[in-house]
Formats: sequence, C-alpha cells, structure tokens
Amino acid sequence: MSDESDSPLTGFTSLLGDVTVVELDGEFCPYAGRLLVDLGAKVTRVRRAECGHDVWWPLHRGKAEFVVDPERPADRRRLLEVIDDCDVLVQSAGPDERDWLGIEPTVVHESRPRMIHAVLTPYGLYGPNAGFPSTELTRLAAGGLLWLGGYPDAEPVAPYGDQSAQSTAIFGVVAILLMLIERSRTGAGGLIEVSAQEAMTQALETSLSEFELTGAVRHRAGSAPREAGTGIYPCADGFVSMVAGRLGTARAWGQLREWLIETATPGADQLRAPSWDTLEFRQRPDSIKRFEEIFTAFTRTRTKQHLYLEAQHRNIALAPVNAPREVLADPQLTARAAFVGATDPLNGKPVKVPRSPFRIRLAGDEAAAK
Amino acid sequence: MNEVLGDLQVLDFCWVGAGALVTKLLAEHGAVVIKIESRARPDNLRVAPPYAPGPKGLEASGYFASRNNDKKSFALNMQRPEGQELARQLAVKCDVITNNFRPGVMERWGLGYEDVSKLNPRVIYLSMSMQGSDGPHREYIGFGSTIAALSGLVHLSGRPDREPVGTGTHYPDHIPSPGHALVAVLAAILHRDRTGSGAEIELSQLEATVSMLAPAIAAADNGSGELVRIGNRSDQACPSGVFRCAGAERWCAIAVRTREQWCGLTQVLADPILAREPELETIAGRRAREGELERRIAALVSGRDRDELVTGLQGAGVPSWGVLSSPDLLADQQLRARDFWRELSHPVIGKITAPSEPYRINGERTGPRRAAPLLGEHTREIAAALLGLSEPEIDELTEARVLW
Repeated sequence: MSDESDSPLTGFTSLLGDVTVVELDGEFCPYAGRLLVDLGAKVTRVRRAECGHDVWWPLHRGKAEFVVDPERPADRRRLLEVIDDCDVLVQSAGPDERDWLGIEPTVVHESRPRMIHAVLTPYGLYGPNAGFPSTELTRLAAGGLLWLGGYPDAEPVAPYGDQSAQSTAIFGVVAILLMLIERSRTGAGGLIEVSAQEAMTQALETSLSEFELTGAVRHRAGSAPREAGTGIYPCADGFVSMVAGRLGTARAWGQLREWLIETATPGADQLRAPSWDTLEFRQRPDSIKRFEEIFTAFTRTRTKQHLYLEAQHRNIALAPVNAPREVLADPQLTARAAFVGATDPLNGKPVKVPRSPFRIRLAGDEAAAK
Repeated sequence: MNEVLGDLQVLDFCWVGAGALVTKLLAEHGAVVIKIESRARPDNLRVAPPYAPGPKGLEASGYFASRNNDKKSFALNMQRPEGQELARQLAVKCDVITNNFRPGVMERWGLGYEDVSKLNPRVIYLSMSMQGSDGPHREYIGFGSTIAALSGLVHLSGRPDREPVGTGTHYPDHIPSPGHALVAVLAAILHRDRTGSGAEIELSQLEATVSMLAPAIAAADNGSGELVRIGNRSDQACPSGVFRCAGAERWCAIAVRTREQWCGLTQVLADPILAREPELETIAGRRAREGELERRIAALVSGRDRDELVTGLQGAGVPSWGVLSSPDLLADQQLRARDFWRELSHPVIGKITAPSEPYRINGERTGPRRAAPLLGEHTREIAAALLGLSEPEIDELTEARVLW
C-alpha cells in the first residue's frame, strides 16, 4: 500500500528490524501483523488471489503482500519456502479457517526448530470444545464479557468492533515477544497457542472475585448510573461519561457539587446535606435518581465538549461519548498526530487511520525523539 | 516460560487499573516486580470492593488481589523527600520502571526518564498516562469507562434503538492499555538483550483503545456516513444474536455464516417452516428478513434448556455458546480441560481462583503462582538486599513513616 502510512516507524525506533514475520490471512491475524509492523518487523501478509473486500485493510499498511492460491500445488510449495525462511509465523486456526499449509498447526514448527509459530484460535487447539466454529459473538459469550454488557431490561449486548479477535492478537504478540526473548538465549522456537475465550476472561473486572468472595453474580448494569456521579448522562448534543466519587475520586464529588451550585443549577443546594458525602448514600437508588434529575437538568443545556473542558478544569473525570468522526476531530489526538493517512481501497479516498499507540525512543537515540 | 523474565527487576509505580495488569504479567513470567505503595496514600484498589468477609482494612480487597499477584510490596512514602531518595536509589538498580501517573509526577520526584537514564542508561522506562505526555489534554484524568467514551467504543456499542451502553466494564484498562504497553515493553526488553540499549516508552491509554477501532475510524473519515450501533448483529453473520432460553438469565449466542450452519440451525430448532425456505440459505436472503428470523428463533429457543441447546448447535456445526456468567466460567468444561484456573492462597482473603495467561507456549501454561502481597510485606527484604540498609536503619525509617 503506497501511502503516508508506508512509514510505520515515523517517530519510532525499529526494535524488531531483523525479525521476519509471515501472517497468513485469517480473522485473528490482521492486528497481530499490525503490531509487529509497528515494532519494525518485516511482515509479509499471505492472502488469496480471490478475496472480496477486506474490512481489516486499515491494519495492513506497511505489510508486504504475497498472493497465493493454496489449492495449487506450486503455490503451496512457494508458500512453504517462504515459511521456511521466516522467524515468526502467525495464523488463525479453527474449523472456519482456510487450510493454508496442508499441515496440522501443531506440527509446523517441528521441522523448523527456530521458527516461532503462533496459532490464534477461538477456544484453543486442545480441549473438548476446541473444534467448534465461532464468531465474534460466541467468543465474547464463551469468555464472559458478553454477560456484562447491555441493558438490564434486555438481552446482553456485545461491545463493538471485533474486540475478541484483536485482543487475541495482542496476547499472541505478547507471547511471540516472550518467545523471541527466550530464543535469543536458547536459539529454539516452538508453538504458541492463544485462546480467544481465555483472552476475554482477562477483561471481566471484579466479577470473578465478587462471585468467589461474596457469592454475588454480577449482572449487566447498562448505561444507568451505578451511584450518584458515576455513569452515562445525556447532554445537549449526546452523552457524557463520568466517574466522580469512587476509586479515590472523593474530592471530585465535592468539586462536582460546587460546580452545580456555582452555576445555580436548580436543586444543587440539596447536595450540600452531609448525607451526600458518603458513597453508601450516593449508591442508594433514590439518591441516584435525585442526582440524575439535578445533573441532567444542568447537562441538557450544555454540549459535551463544554462539559468535558469545564469538568476537567475542576479535576472531575468526565468525558464526551464521542462518535468516530468526533474522535477524528479530538484536539488531543490531533495535536499528537495520532492518525496517519491511508487510501480507502473501496473508493480510493484519502482517509485517516490510527497510528501505533506507543512511542519508543532508544537511549541516546535523539533523532527519534518525540 | 515461567521464568523467561527471571533476570529482570521491575520498579513498579503503577496503581489502580491498567498499569497493574502490565506488571502482573511480567511477574507471572518471573520478573521481580517491586510495587511501590504506601499507607500514606494506599493504592485505591486496596480499598475497593469486593472484599473478603470480615474486617475490611487494606488487605481484604479482591479487586487489588486480582491485579497484583506475584509482586513484591515495598512500603515507601513518596510524600517524604527521604522516600523519594530511596526510590531514586532503587531506580538505579532496576531494569524496568513503570508508572501510570499524570505527566509530571515522576519528574517532580526526580524519577523522570531524563533523570533516571543518566544514572541507569540501560533502563526501560514505561509511562502510560491517560492521554500521553504532551498535547492540550495531557493532564486530563479518567478511568477505563471514560477512555472508552472518548475513543468511540461506547458510542458504537449498544442497540440501535437505545442509548449507547459501552461494555459494562472499564474494558480499556483490562486489555487495550495493558496489552499495548506490554507489547512495547517486551520488544524493548528483547532489544536490550541484544544491544544493551535501554528505551523510553510512552503509551497514551486513549490511543490504545482508538487503535482497536481502526476500521470504524477509517469508515468515519471516508464520508460514507456515520456508523450506527448494531447491537449483536454482524456484517459477517446473519442471524447473529443473543436469545433467552428457559430459566432466569439463561442466554445463548447464535451466529450463522454459511448455508451449512443455517441448515444445522433449522435442524436443531426442528423448525420445518424455516427449513423449507431456500432463499434463507444465503446470507443475503436471511439479511432481508433479519428481524423476522430473530423473532422466530427467540420463540423457538425460549423454552429450551440453554446448555442442551448449545450442545446440539455446536454438534451441528453452528457457532453457538452459552452467555457465560462468573459461575458458568468457573465450571466451563473447555477452560477446565485446558487447566486454565489457578488456585491461590491469600493470608487474609483465603482461596482465590485466578485466570492463567490466555496462551500456552510449547504446551506450558503461565499464570499466577503467589497471591498478592500484603502492604509492605517485602519492605525489609528489599531494603536490605537492594538498598543495603541495616535492621536498625530500617526500624528507624519505619518509625519515621518513610518505609511506610
């Protein structure tokens, strides 16, 4: 892809410059390849000649492409040659995935002792349910994150955007890097197996320990405030999200109250009563409801950007619920050049895509300084 | 792989959410992680529920325990100049230094990268503030839920006919932020192993979550219209939904991509009406009647036992799984067969069941081995071994509330 994004290392230093990676097209792989490119690895993406529009195209910048038809023996031979030379092979596995190599994923590394073979799977390569087909939704269900999402009066709702596939990719890269560290000492590669189900269990917050310690099963709470000051609230042009009063933000609750009083918000004076100073009182359903009435009367006449700036000046953790176009216009992300240019393959339009979220500067490497 | 990082010492100033999960994984792979904390200002998670039954105090939080296993706790009062001086001495001896403070806090203590790297040029130094170290919002504060709001994830998550709902958790704290930080830190460790050169790493937690929304960001910028919430529906599958089964809060997820999967679904649901309609065998045909299909499936599964239904669907090759709650997860046969859960023993909390890392390397599991430390549990050990302090000196600094 010939874009501005052909320079994935702008502002970065290449850490994996001598590492070659082959990424076999599959649903878990695009983000893994993306991260490895960002670290400076030479990533070759293997894809079929005949494939439709790829929704993951924004992640492919900086990758070389190798187009094959795995049904053709000559192509498959060429593919095996490419793999023989790589340090890291990343592939998705599962019953829905294409058989690229004609070799069981568990044995590919056996004849390639230095190769690190990362197999990203829905439920693992082993276990009674390993062979079941999956989609994003079933992986989120199996990993427990789906249970926690959605409105209390309706079915559980999944988070947007293939989060299980990308999370699996991140843990895959973590494991690849651990194995590269080990290989630099021992010379030996091997097999990495990542389970998307297991990856999602890392995102369950306190729900497991809550059950184990108290017997309580945490349910989805939706967007409704969990206590006065913490939740999603409507405003003039959308919604804002706020955390004020818990996890060490007790002072923010006071600041929030002063803000409402200072702006002569109707009912704000009631919040001066000492009972409101305790989290226990603010967690009572009638307190949540009363605060919501007072606060939303205030927010409904104000925009989310106004609320964001004013709240942050008062050290209150409030943020706008941004639509993607608002994310693109965010002053902080713009100031930090958090997006790079690319070309949408569907219509040839120039668009922005996220840049790598980490910046790495080597000691003494002033040229790459921010 | 349990000891692959066994030669590393990590000086860990991370607290609360995302940062603690970075150093948790490093510790599980053998790094000696020295968590700097203090009674003068305890990590917020030490006073956050859920608690073990009994007195609350600073040692009973399951929240804290779930993110700090395998670490060592060094009680150090950073509000005192003597505490800051001891931290600077430790910084010289450590391989990795981590923090998730607002920009400027470490610098005020003389522990910024510029200061530390002069004395310890091989150090790998991670800062992971909410929005990065520069820019107009660099000092803004937030939590996982507000980062998810800023990033676009909350706006996009939920039903189209309802308000945005997000993930129901502080999701950015759990995978996007620590995951990207770990990728950068481990790459820097690899590089240092080869070259001897240290590195400064800066991660914006907001940018980490935005990075996981790349297709949505690109679509928003190409003028093709604003993206809308789609609930559990999917571009890749139809139907794709969560359906209520018999009993309270028993749900199953079902998603159909192919003709074979559709046929499997109609067989398991024993629905002669749906099975007779050939246009439903293509995803386009099903998409045209998506709402109707969802209502039909909902009616057909509402009286079925969730686990029997899911077993039938999985056997028929249909992507399906029960929507698992915490007790479901602990009993899940796939996770149990894969030896996923670890049992730890904590002196105050008692038994803790903790997840392993979600990967196996050469068949080997890595995961928690030791429960989270008590506050200051390793102060004496570290003060003697790394700072060379004598017992009387340690007693004096404890009395003076420096080692506190």
